[in-house]
Amino acid sequence: MSELHKEIKKMIIDCLDLEDIDVEDINDDSPLFVEGLGLDSIDALEIGLMLQKKYGIKLESDSEATRQYFASVNSLVALVSSNRVN
Amino acid sequence: MLTFKIQSWAAIAPDLIKEEDWKSWLLNRHPIAPLFGKDSLKQIPPLLRRRLTTLGKPALEVVLALGVEGECVPSVFSSRHGDTGLTLSLLEEMGKDEPMSPKGFTLAVHNAVAGLYTIFCKNTSNVTAISAMDGLVVNSILESVGQLQTAEKVLCVIYDMPLPELYRPFCSSLPFPYAVAVVLSRSQGEPYLLEQVHNKAIGTESNDEVDSLAFLSLLTGLTSEMVSKSNGGAWAIKKVAH
Repeated sequence: MSELHKEIKKMIIDCLDLEDIDVEDINDDSPLFVEGLGLDSIDALEIGLMLQKKYGIKLESDSEATRQYFASVNSLVALVSSNRVN
Repeated sequence: MLTFKIQSWAAIAPDLIKEEDWKSWLLNRHPIAPLFGKDSLKQIPPLLRRRLTTLGKPALEVVLALGVEGECVPSVFSSRHGDTGLTLSLLEEMGKDEPMSPKGFTLAVHNAVAGLYTIFCKNTSNVTAISAMDGLVVNSILESVGQLQTAEKVLCVIYDMPLPELYRPFCSSLPFPYAVAVVLSRSQGEPYLLEQVHNKAIGTESNDEVDSLAFLSLLTGLTSEMVSKSNGGAWAIKKVAH
């Protein structure tokens, strides 16, 4: 697990108050929404806000590309490593 | 005069969990902690917990203690101030021109706790969210008894927490968070009545602090009657002798 993987998992846990889940419990390529972690649409908005605050990444709220970025931790890591401005 | 029965109830505040805790505290009111400890309020499943703020957790803790979540019971959720601390933090974000937390925004509405509860237990019954200035207890019971005319049972939840420092000079509230949940029933439980009384006989206007604790004294059996005076009217809730 890379440092960025850890950082993003920690961000998800903290900003979504997943108090009974540890970084090690989240698989890099498992789905984040509905299956896997079982997150929902409000969680997606909250993650979107954190990406904006923490890495300066602004996403279209309803584009196909955004859906793909939110598929798993791996896809979020790819998004952040290629688009971060801070 | 309206009659109803109280089938079950539960109340919680920091350090006050069981009926006996409340009874002895009501008789000897020493200061209690202004916040719940980290290990309290663990009855709520994790997926629901994470959506609840410090206001919502005690409210649903007492609701779940009553075990009616499997039944589709209409509910009345009453809080004078709602989540004023959360609303203030959203206003502060706006003031600093920062983006607002979507989770915070959805939870700042007055029916947020009721909404989370009904989604969690797939309850499609009526939900009423009350924010009464004065007479919160009486207004909540009046609304619940009204709904009892068309339902066998009604869940009534009264909950509040101390206001943020900024607002405290303008309003009174209990210095600790608390929540009381009551299942009112047409046919089962202890009989009570609610009636209007001549307000000339009653002294000063009531406030939340006095009313909430008077209601708890009534539920625990320390008293058999409470009277609340607000907005020019006075109401009594009385235990009816068997």
